[in-house]
Amino acid sequence: MLLTALIVLWRKSVPAYITAYKWQSWLLAAVTATIGYFGGDRQLYWVAVVLVALKGVAIPFLLRAMQRRFSALPETKPYVNTETSLLIASLLVLFAYVLARPWVMVSRLPTREGLPLATSLLFVSLFIIVSRKKATTQVIGFLMLENAIGLLAAVGTYGVPLLVELGVFLDALMGFLVMQIFVYHIHETFDSIDVEQLTRLRH
Amino acid sequence: MLTLIFLLVPPGVATCLATLVRPYRRLVGWTSVTCGGVSLVAAGWMALTVVPGRGPGGQSLATGAWHIDPLSALLAVCIAFVALLAAALGPGLSPHDAHDATETRRFHIYMNAFAFTMLTAVTIPNIALMWVAIEATTITSAMAIPLNRTKASVEASWKYLLVCSVGIALAFAGTVLAYFDFVATAGQVHAALNWDVLRTAAPSLHPELLQIAFAFILVGYGTKAGLAPMHTWLPDAHSEAPSPISAMMSGVLLAVAMYAIARWKAVIDASIGPTFTNNMLIGFGLCSVAIGTLSLVIQQHYKRMLAYSSVEHMGLVSIGLGLGPLGVFAAWLHVMNHAVAKSMTFLLAGRILHRFNTTEIARVSGLLRVMPWTGALFAAGGLALVGLPPFGLFVSELLLVQAAIAGQKTWLAALVLVLLLTAFVSLLAHLNRMLYGQPPDGVRVGEDRQWSTMALMLPACVLVALGVVLPSPVSTLIHQCVISLLPR
Repeated sequence: MLLTALIVLWRKSVPAYITAYKWQSWLLAAVTATIGYFGGDRQLYWVAVVLVALKGVAIPFLLRAMQRRFSALPETKPYVNTETSLLIASLLVLFAYVLARPWVMVSRLPTREGLPLATSLLFVSLFIIVSRKKATTQVIGFLMLENAIGLLAAVGTYGVPLLVELGVFLDALMGFLVMQIFVYHIHETFDSIDVEQLTRLRH
Repeated sequence: MLTLIFLLVPPGVATCLATLVRPYRRLVGWTSVTCGGVSLVAAGWMALTVVPGRGPGGQSLATGAWHIDPLSALLAVCIAFVALLAAALGPGLSPHDAHDATETRRFHIYMNAFAFTMLTAVTIPNIALMWVAIEATTITSAMAIPLNRTKASVEASWKYLLVCSVGIALAFAGTVLAYFDFVATAGQVHAALNWDVLRTAAPSLHPELLQIAFAFILVGYGTKAGLAPMHTWLPDAHSEAPSPISAMMSGVLLAVAMYAIARWKAVIDASIGPTFTNNMLIGFGLCSVAIGTLSLVIQQHYKRMLAYSSVEHMGLVSIGLGLGPLGVFAAWLHVMNHAVAKSMTFLLAGRILHRFNTTEIARVSGLLRVMPWTGALFAAGGLALVGLPPFGLFVSELLLVQAAIAGQKTWLAALVLVLLLTAFVSLLAHLNRMLYGQPPDGVRVGEDRQWSTMALMLPACVLVALGVVLPSPVSTLIHQCVISLLPR
């Protein structure tokens, strides 16, 4: 899953990002289902199903629709070039492993080895959001951040209660739809989805 | 249970009605106001039933999935009050408005949905569902910001949406971490995500994990509360939103985020003692007060000026939460005062903007001559915000400084006083420029919509009442909030 996030730093086209995100979501669903199988928790199967439907199919589809609409727009360079960002990402992963070391000690669950992975995914997603200029890429970064937290919840706690999970899904979907609306707004008002343009408000 | 229905259902009903009725009709606006009124009465009733509790933590109404304690009741009253003001003074009630029918309809949909999500956030005892509600406040309020779709408002709402969603996602990571620790120690338990269950279990949890969890939570909810240095979205969003929405965001949304932090602090304190959380809160708080104040000095737009003053006041609340019982008392009193004062000034700022058609301080002059009542009330609100007597904020700021001195933190008290003084001077200078002088050419002189001016007298009176007498039910309520947050 971490690899899928690194792809975003490495590749430069939005369709590649969307594919990466789709694979990441399917993997997250697989992890959740596996945990459900070994933990004997039926609820997690449902969570996995919703994950696939929502994050594996629906959101990538909408992202692609958005991408087709803006495909004529020129690509913009990120703030940091590919080599540097891969380097920074590896440092972040190292940091995440150091940070997560005590948590692994604490946990008795068999899935505890996944914790540092989830944390590094969290940091890398954050880095994607701050280092990219395109509104669409920022949205994908945000979606990956949510996947990271989902993974953290799955491996750390065998999943939060179903009610909470549903609420989180609903929020994720709403948040994504609203962000999509705003990407269109930005496009209409600025004729671009480059957030470099958003500098009107200072001080 | 019945009170809770009367608290939560009216904003929901108003949202649905506003969504279904198209095009917009005046009736929808009046329904919003009525629903706001019912909600406020319910919140007040709830507070009154909670107050006479004989036990040390006050009474709490627990019904099924809901749980009301004094702190929830306090926040609910503030939210319902500000939402009512926003509904009554927002667009849609008088025939001549700045907004057309579509915009007014959208305003009523999102305003009520926004109020609903905030009320849910403070009355639900499940920390994860509270997170869901707070995230929903981001979404509903972001939709309400670009009523007039301009470049600036779209930019502001995009920043707001992205920064706050990311921030709040970090808060969820913190929540998951704390829950993870809980599951690792106690296993899966029914209702494990409720405040009281977590608090009771807290002493057996791992301190080092909880520290990291609290850091995540403070940064996450702190983003939403506008604590510096995560406040970057706040001045943009507050200055570009329509004034009633700014009033709600600044007056109560920030307070809801502080509420979440305070709840978590109570859990973490039960495990590792208050020193760690206090230091973090004081650090972030001091940073916010400093940045808020210094930005006030260089401000050129009056709505941004009010927004930075919110950063400053949230900093004060945060410092208060980190200063032990007296500080916590001062903090919640301050939240209440700030909700009233800031919503009043933002609504007045909306009227000024409507008349002068600019947000620049330099281009507004002779306010007292152009709009005598609005000008006078704006001056009163400004003086309240800088903490002058007889307004309520004076009392809470005084208590805060006292708490700092009593806690052997004289340096903190001195620093806060210096910053408050700076804020005082700069805000007064800005006010001075706006209130006096010759009105610019082409600006119509004379007050209109008398009744809404009268309605804005109400918050001013509340502020004076809180400052001069501090009614005993209010002080009892806040006292009980403090007790319910202290380690048992």
